[in-house]
Amino acid sequence: MDSTISSRIILGVNKIMERYDKEVTNLAEAKINRAYIIKDVKTNDEELKNFLFTLGCYEGETVTVLSVLSENYVVSVKDARYSIDKDLAEAIIV
Amino acid sequence: MKVALTGNPNSGKTTLFNAITGKIERVGNWAGVTIEKKEGKVKKSLNKGNTSITAVDLPGAYSMSPFTSEENVTSDFVKNENPDIIINIVDATNLSRSLFFATQLLELGIPVVVALNKSDLNKKKGIAINVEALSQRLGCSVVETISTDGNHNGLEELISTAIEIKGKRQKAPFDSSAVDMADKSAIEASDRKRFEFVKSIVSEVENRKVSSNRQTKQDAIDRVLAHKWFGIPIFAVVMWAVFSISQTHLGPLLADTLVGWIDGFYGWAEGLLGEGVSPVLSSILLDGIIGGVGAVIGFLPLIMVLFFLLALLEDCGYMARVAAVMDRFFKRVGLSGKSIIPIIIGTGCAIPGIMATRTIKNERQRRTTAMLTPFIPCGAKLPVIALFAGVFFNDAAWVGTTMYFVGIAFIILGALIVVRITGEKNAKSFFIMELPEYRFPSIKRATISMFSRAKAFIIKAGTIILLCNAVVQLMQTFNWQFQVVTEGAADASILASIASPFAILLIPLGFGVWQLAAAAITGFIAKENVVGTLAVVYSITNFINTEELALVEGASDVASVMGLSSVAALAYLMFNLFTPPCFAAIGAMNSEMENKKWLWSGIAFQFATGYVASFITYQIGTLLTTGAFGSGFLPGFIVVAVIVVYVAYLMRRGDKRATEKLALSI
Amino acid sequence: MANIIVMVIILTIVVAAIAKIVIEKRKGVKCVGCPYSQTGDSNCSCNDSR
Repeated sequence: MDSTISSRIILGVNKIMERYDKEVTNLAEAKINRAYIIKDVKTNDEELKNFLFTLGCYEGETVTVLSVLSENYVVSVKDARYSIDKDLAEAIIV
Repeated sequence: MKVALTGNPNSGKTTLFNAITGKIERVGNWAGVTIEKKEGKVKKSLNKGNTSITAVDLPGAYSMSPFTSEENVTSDFVKNENPDIIINIVDATNLSRSLFFATQLLELGIPVVVALNKSDLNKKKGIAINVEALSQRLGCSVVETISTDGNHNGLEELISTAIEIKGKRQKAPFDSSAVDMADKSAIEASDRKRFEFVKSIVSEVENRKVSSNRQTKQDAIDRVLAHKWFGIPIFAVVMWAVFSISQTHLGPLLADTLVGWIDGFYGWAEGLLGEGVSPVLSSILLDGIIGGVGAVIGFLPLIMVLFFLLALLEDCGYMARVAAVMDRFFKRVGLSGKSIIPIIIGTGCAIPGIMATRTIKNERQRRTTAMLTPFIPCGAKLPVIALFAGVFFNDAAWVGTTMYFVGIAFIILGALIVVRITGEKNAKSFFIMELPEYRFPSIKRATISMFSRAKAFIIKAGTIILLCNAVVQLMQTFNWQFQVVTEGAADASILASIASPFAILLIPLGFGVWQLAAAAITGFIAKENVVGTLAVVYSITNFINTEELALVEGASDVASVMGLSSVAALAYLMFNLFTPPCFAAIGAMNSEMENKKWLWSGIAFQFATGYVASFITYQIGTLLTTGAFGSGFLPGFIVVAVIVVYVAYLMRRGDKRATEKLALSI
Repeated sequence: MANIIVMVIILTIVVAAIAKIVIEKRKGVKCVGCPYSQTGDSNCSCNDSR
């Protein structure tokens, strides 16, 4: 019994630590005000991917999260600001 | 000569279009205001040539490969309709994105002139662009413009350049004609190269002092206005202020003068007619036409102030933030964040609002939004709100504000129901919206917008509403034998006999009298008719007092003539606001939904919502104020219960389908 | 006499109102008197077969 609780705690702590140590993998985890290079846009929606491409949001481009507002991410791509939702932020791999 | 205006969304195409043609098409500081192409002749003062020039304003697009259907309009037009010249409007503050589309346009073999718009903003932001170098690299003329400016805006030069280059072809700076259009990866590779090419141009011609991915004051404002918790209260306060100014303070002050004139005119006409005229004719002219139209026109100043304030809001860039705040709620109920744009446009008029649903890609979301957009009170509903707020609630600004939020609540609730009925609650959608820069709203633009709306309002009052009022007056004066009904026996009139059966249905809602039923029915032709018809059937010439500065003349008198309690009045107001809008809006719903089943379900849903909301307001309100339920509680309750059970059944059925779908997909 | 004049006035107003509506409809305006529903004559969205 005890051991399960303690192991759970350790597991939980590990998870939290992971969250901090882990490399930022997508925009939703990105730190504010830091420029990231986009590695991939993970979506099955081909059209969405093309659309993001025309905005200049594709592999190799830089993207910056400026603020997180009510579950929306304000990101700067090229010279424009966009508000995107969390699902989309998670789809952008950096 | 045909000139097409193209460019990225919110680069200022329509503003430029308005400036060169003198038209007053709708503009706003967010992406996606224009959804259809618009044509206009270029003003003589700008066109120094001999041939007349037709400018075609197109919806914004990011590239030639369309993502939304309004981008389709643009690429179809430039490809198929052979414009003589393309004016590509480039947002000077965002060259690196805009030039992608520009280089695609340069390949089409149509002479292109680039209008470097918003060039005034560049100076403020410390961005310098070498126009000559840009022109050289692109191989086409580049003209700096400031389309929001009255003078020195570069528009004359733009037009004369456009005339000059007619018939000439430029060499495309980036040529992708060798690329195999069937090969996806080849296209992608070429587009990537195109972006690289654009980057190289930008690095050469642009000099930025501040990188755009740094936080600015704008972001600080965003953090407050679009805050997770404060966002909605701030929006509520803004709306309340708008109503308070237009309806409680400035509006009535102006309305007062206008109503004085209308009263004077009525008196003058009355005196002119004298005794010799048959009372039937004089009542048609005085009460039906002058009184009915006058009652509606009396609200014009309120409407104008309101439209002015809404135009300021649209112009400053706040609306895109409201969309971001609302997205969270809309997404949970299966709508897209983009659904907010039709709704915002719907505050002016539901028809363009419904048409704006075209920007939504997902079919179900688009249809749901088209079905729910009319819940937001449109401009035509404002006189009705103002009338009831004035007569029964002492001009309180909270009435109007509440109606907006009740409208939003119904939209969210409605979306929740629809998404479950269709069984697509597991569907996922993405939200992306450009956040335009805040700017100080232009008083001039707001004034222009206000007057154009006021003009439309007067035209409507003088045509549809006038006719309806005349017909209502006639139907009220005669009975089915075409005899004049005696005074005090109006219950025998044609109007009463038509409206009475409907009135029975309205008893549980607290307003089961034929006069109110008739007003609600004429409201389906145009919502302002509710005011006009009430004025006619109760022979009230106008609702606004000229002496007391109160909005409504002897408010309590009017209230007692109508025989309504405040609660019933609120229920009646809700019924008028949340049942289906006018026929024209239903027509727009039909063309955007493209599906009869959706259309009829939508109309039925709107009726059900209006009825249930009104029933609940009246019965609960009466219970609270008098301690007992209002009249007709039981039959009304049965109707409402049937509606609720049926909707619940549909939702259960939808859920089942959703789980089946999920099971299939696993 | 006065009756006839009043009748003529009423008819004139009504006919003018109807004429205005008919003209606007011909121009392709979807909702007479709705701000922003005025559009150019080439774009009746009801015709586009999407």
